[in-house]
Amino acid sequence: MKADHESAFLGRVRKALGRPGGVRPAWTGLRGRDADAATLAELARIRGRSREERLGLLARLESEAVPLKLTVRRVTDARQAAQAVVDLVAAGEPEWGGAKRVVGWRHPLITALDLGARLAQLAVPYSESDPALEGQSSEDRRERRAALRREVADAFVGVTAADYAVAATGTLALKTRPGQARSVSLLPTTHVAVIYLEQIVADLRELYLLLEHDPGGKTEGLTNCLTFISGLSKTGDIEFIMIHGVHGPREMHLVVITDEAAP
Amino acid sequence: MMSAKAPDYRARARAAIQDGTLQKALGGVQQRLGPATAALYAQLPEGPGLRQTAHDLRMQAVMNLDLLLEALADKVRAAGGHVYFAADAQAATDYCLQVARDHKVRRVVKGKSMVTEEIALNRALEAAGIEAVETDLGEYIIQLAGERPSHIIAPAIHKTRQQVGRLFAEKLGIPYTEDPPRLTQAARKALRAKFLAADMGISGCNLAIAETGHITTVSNEGNIRMATTLPRVHVAIMGMERIVARLQDHQILLRLLSHGAAAQKVGGYVSFIAAAATPDQADGPEAFHLVVLDNGRSRILADEDLREILCCLRCGACLNVCPVYGKIGGHAYGTVYTGPVGAVLSPLLAGLKEGRDLCLGETLCGACQQACPVNINLPRLLLALRQKMTEGDRSWGVPAAGGRERAAMRAWSWVVASRGRYETLCRLLAALQRCLPRKAGWIRWAPLDFRGWTFSRDLKPLARERFVERWRRTKKTTGGRS
Repeated sequence: MKADHESAFLGRVRKALGRPGGVRPAWTGLRGRDADAATLAELARIRGRSREERLGLLARLESEAVPLKLTVRRVTDARQAAQAVVDLVAAGEPEWGGAKRVVGWRHPLITALDLGARLAQLAVPYSESDPALEGQSSEDRRERRAALRREVADAFVGVTAADYAVAATGTLALKTRPGQARSVSLLPTTHVAVIYLEQIVADLRELYLLLEHDPGGKTEGLTNCLTFISGLSKTGDIEFIMIHGVHGPREMHLVVITDEAAP
Repeated sequence: MMSAKAPDYRARARAAIQDGTLQKALGGVQQRLGPATAALYAQLPEGPGLRQTAHDLRMQAVMNLDLLLEALADKVRAAGGHVYFAADAQAATDYCLQVARDHKVRRVVKGKSMVTEEIALNRALEAAGIEAVETDLGEYIIQLAGERPSHIIAPAIHKTRQQVGRLFAEKLGIPYTEDPPRLTQAARKALRAKFLAADMGISGCNLAIAETGHITTVSNEGNIRMATTLPRVHVAIMGMERIVARLQDHQILLRLLSHGAAAQKVGGYVSFIAAAATPDQADGPEAFHLVVLDNGRSRILADEDLREILCCLRCGACLNVCPVYGKIGGHAYGTVYTGPVGAVLSPLLAGLKEGRDLCLGETLCGACQQACPVNINLPRLLLALRQKMTEGDRSWGVPAAGGRERAAMRAWSWVVASRGRYETLCRLLAALQRCLPRKAGWIRWAPLDFRGWTFSRDLKPLARERFVERWRRTKKTTGGRS
């Protein structure tokens, strides 16, 4: 049963369109479609890229990242990726004072970096953005979320994975899942994302194609919050002078694992 | 409240033209963004025809708006969000205030949104004792200064760094600096505290996707992500036409929007939001409300000549190439939407009688259509509007234009319909013009409505010998050769 405001609203729209009776025109734009042959071929082409082609995409990503102030680092394996994160933590200083803290996603790739143990050697506390909400009452959930918020706000480095990276635009695409807080890529001064080489696609057209048709992602869809991040936050609002690091991170790194495949 | 009425529009335009700082700022924006956007269009992998494809996609969405909005609402509700269809500004602000009361909201952070300017949401929130902070740096500057945006995507572009420096020193209590990075850092710090303390975040919506049930927002500063991630409640407000059917349509429109808005390949942050956080998610708002706003749009939709303006994505690209906007800036228009799009949209939203001078002020040069990411034929729309205002239009409640212009035009058409009458008039005018003051062979001043011309430029007098006379004479002397 629709509320009155809604029926009246849509009624006005239908009347304006000249179909006051609510006649449905033949509009197929919304039907869930299966991928057609051309799309399937395109998907196969994207998945079947050779290592050389993928390294070419990485090179393109690296050059597109420069003006976006996104630093790209190539590493061969997860161990080196972990070392890259540790180096960044060792070199950086908390923007808002206080002690160094790092927060990261609960994600197979990030968990495999074993950052807790590695950062402990620097005496830097590390936590996963996973407040164990399952089975909690809504009151407890609220409390745990508030505690997580404080942890993320206090962290100066946030570590995430990503679903895809786009070579032509320097874009990372991040879906939202349990244990993978949105704020980890947003509140800390430095955002570090870690991906495998095979997650890089050529351009936005390929990205949207995969978002729509990739069998792995099809059941979960775009999730309730999908974010594209293309480099550092920036503004030109004062006299058109470009300044990087406004409300989001002031530093951003992408670590690409080139010699290991996703499990 | 500013108005779009003629005397104010002209006075503000004149003041703007004499404001050297503003002229420099406007020139800077147009020189940087205009050509850069054009260059990106030229490099589109699908070719420049993609703008027309995008136009078709938008028009298709507009022509099926009822179905798309229903589909969107169903999806958002299925994901646990709330959808409210607001007939006008009052209904929309009332709903926002109700949501705020329900959630005991005291502090609001806002992402940049023209539609919230349109419905004057900040005023309503403040009247209810709720703090509403703009978080886009430009909007924040404007809010601290108590002004209104002068450009859709660069709202504070009319302010110098010294003005911002003095403003921040006064309002934020920081030592005076005119160094843009330091000023930005000061705003970053002040607004971070606001983001972390806010109970509710309000955003606009660049384009919703009916197929998936997401709204999308685009920003470069990260402020919209902050405002839609950190507070307990997220309210998104969208003009009802800001929707496309399919995810693949969004792909095309997002690229073009980014090219048009800031000459970027893609905006820095793009968020696709469908609902509040699920119970198992670590953060994100607990409640999500989507407000779909009509506020005069269904009246535009009903007009076959004018509904094309509903394709607009509010990127501001037309402002960056418009020779009129480039001289008078956004404040001269006196309306929320400015530039070529504002010249069409503002009279339509406010009622044709209110904004008539805006659509008369544009030059019909066509630069706006070339810059438009969805190839809206703005010159045609401006002409259609002018026609309705002159000839009258019952559905818009405008009477035909005043008797004088009408009588003059009727007399003119009577004169030019006959060679004899026309030649007599020419001879008469040629005789009369001798009484008018001249300088260097040009007429400096003319009476009656012709003053409109001589007010700002001189008038070339009618030639002593008219072309036809000369033609006849030369034909005689050259023995008939032409």
